[in-house]
Amino acid sequence: MADSARSNSALGWLADPLASTADAAQRAYRFTSDRRAYLAPIAIGLALLLVSLVGLASNASQFFYSYFIGWISCLTIAVGGLFFLFFNHLTKASWSVVVRRVNEALVWAFPLLFVLGIPILFGMHDLYHWTHEELYVEGGPKYDEILAGKRGYLNTPFWIGRVVVYFALWIYLSYKLYVLSVRSDVEGGEGVPAKLRKVSAWGLPVTAVATAFASYDLLMSTDPHWFSTIFGIYFFIGGILAAVSLMVVLLASFQRVGGMLEGVVTKEHYHDLGKYMFGFTVFWAYIAFSQYMLIWYAGIPEETLFYKHRLMHGWEWHSAFLIIFHFIVPFLILLPRFTKRSIPTLSFMAVWLIVMHWFDMHWIAAPTQGAHHTFHWLDLTLGLGLFLIFAGTIVYRLSRHSLIPEKDPYLGDSLHFENV
Amino acid sequence: MLDELTRELKATMGIYESDEEQVYGLLAEFSDPGALLHAAEAVRENGYSHFDTHSPFPIHGMDRAMGLGNSKVGFFSFGGAVTGLAVGYLLQWWTSAVDYPINISGKPFFAIEPSVPIMFELTILFGALGAVAGMLALNGLPRPYNPLFYSERFERVTDDAFFLHIAASDAKFDETDTANLLRKAGALNVELVQDDGSAETAPASSL
Repeated sequence: MADSARSNSALGWLADPLASTADAAQRAYRFTSDRRAYLAPIAIGLALLLVSLVGLASNASQFFYSYFIGWISCLTIAVGGLFFLFFNHLTKASWSVVVRRVNEALVWAFPLLFVLGIPILFGMHDLYHWTHEELYVEGGPKYDEILAGKRGYLNTPFWIGRVVVYFALWIYLSYKLYVLSVRSDVEGGEGVPAKLRKVSAWGLPVTAVATAFASYDLLMSTDPHWFSTIFGIYFFIGGILAAVSLMVVLLASFQRVGGMLEGVVTKEHYHDLGKYMFGFTVFWAYIAFSQYMLIWYAGIPEETLFYKHRLMHGWEWHSAFLIIFHFIVPFLILLPRFTKRSIPTLSFMAVWLIVMHWFDMHWIAAPTQGAHHTFHWLDLTLGLGLFLIFAGTIVYRLSRHSLIPEKDPYLGDSLHFENV
Repeated sequence: MLDELTRELKATMGIYESDEEQVYGLLAEFSDPGALLHAAEAVRENGYSHFDTHSPFPIHGMDRAMGLGNSKVGFFSFGGAVTGLAVGYLLQWWTSAVDYPINISGKPFFAIEPSVPIMFELTILFGALGAVAGMLALNGLPRPYNPLFYSERFERVTDDAFFLHIAASDAKFDETDTANLLRKAGALNVELVQDDGSAETAPASSL
């Protein structure tokens, strides 16, 4: 039995910065399924990506759009997970200790997402209209005065530099939160919550700013003439909703399929995660509507164009579907107490909300590709493929360590937690 | 039949009727929150349903010990919220499109977009009012008169004493047996509370 957790080898570092500590974990908290639990989703995900390469040859623009939508969906989930972890530390939440390791495994997705983001560099010409050189030729037929004015900010080298900075920050913070917590499993948990809180205290505001700018750079600039200052919150709230949902899906499948964590994660914890799902569903709608209403009221063409695109040529159905199935239906289903305490119902809603999060990202990015509404088979293969790799590596990390921070001083409170 | 139903409904709100001899019930005092919790469990397990506990502060786990189900306040809140949503919609439509239509920068007289904040606020307001009204109704409040006020000991209930009251209207109520049960559950003292409707009456005698 190791008395300190070692670092992982160079390549494995991407998936998990620490060597396995599973042997040191208490039997009740161990991951007991076999390798198929993570190898199967990763293998299917890779296969789907391989199949999608056919699409790259025939329709590169569509490939990059579909890839980008799948990638940004996973990235927002990781960002949301990071925020969820921050404020649980900062509020000294003791109920969430037993679900925290899943959250920690979720945030170490950033290094892999960084690598998976590299193909997007090759699709920047398709994804980002502002990269087109002819827009900046003064007097030229395609000269765009507005984008020329934004060029000091929206240009490829600066854009890449900023994205690298965002990732460096996210990776550094998730490294701190992940490693401090996992190390405490073998080295003891005294004083660790205080350290985690300290990292979260400066990490939260800095990540908030970085995430807002990441949302402008990565997603909002797919429609470079348009701008919305609330966009950063929209970006983050969709992600945190999907992150909590993903935690529910992982925990429920560990318990119901894998027979793990019996009596450790209880209905009470699902109930609280369900409350967060409900709350963030409402908050998502609140932010989405705030953005829409202000633009509707002002009626300025450069702003209304965003919604005009999304209310014609078939996109109006897409928009209506988003309101009904990202807000109204989940709101009514998650409102009563019993649905949040029924694990099958809650898991179903969690899968639903993850799919709707992807749908939301599609709704934002895809209309900039073409005026007419479309779903392409690449949307499915790349979206699902990237998500399976993303989720599979989370399970991989969880399989290598205790499933809960077992030496956390507040573990007892969490185990006996009850909703009043 | 209807009387019976009303009586049971009022009992769920903590309002019990006295019996023919004006006996309101038995009031037992307990030393601490834990003792009260276990006493409530014992009383419920012995098949009583018309009883209530009184303490200076909320006691964790008491709902379960007393066998109280989930709060039904949520239904009142939901009803209020739906009413508020509808009222907000009607208010916006009637004031801006029917009663006093004004053309403001060419916008439609009635549109859903600017109405949503009003509908939202009224949903919250009516939902909150529904929750408060429902809470008061389900608790049988406000209730300025309660026969328990005849007990001198009961005055300490907002300070440092813990009481359990079993109503005479309970089907299983029996002055001697019930008092014995309460003593067995660890009561410091048990007294019979009379509802004689007169504040001048001497305090109920200790059994």
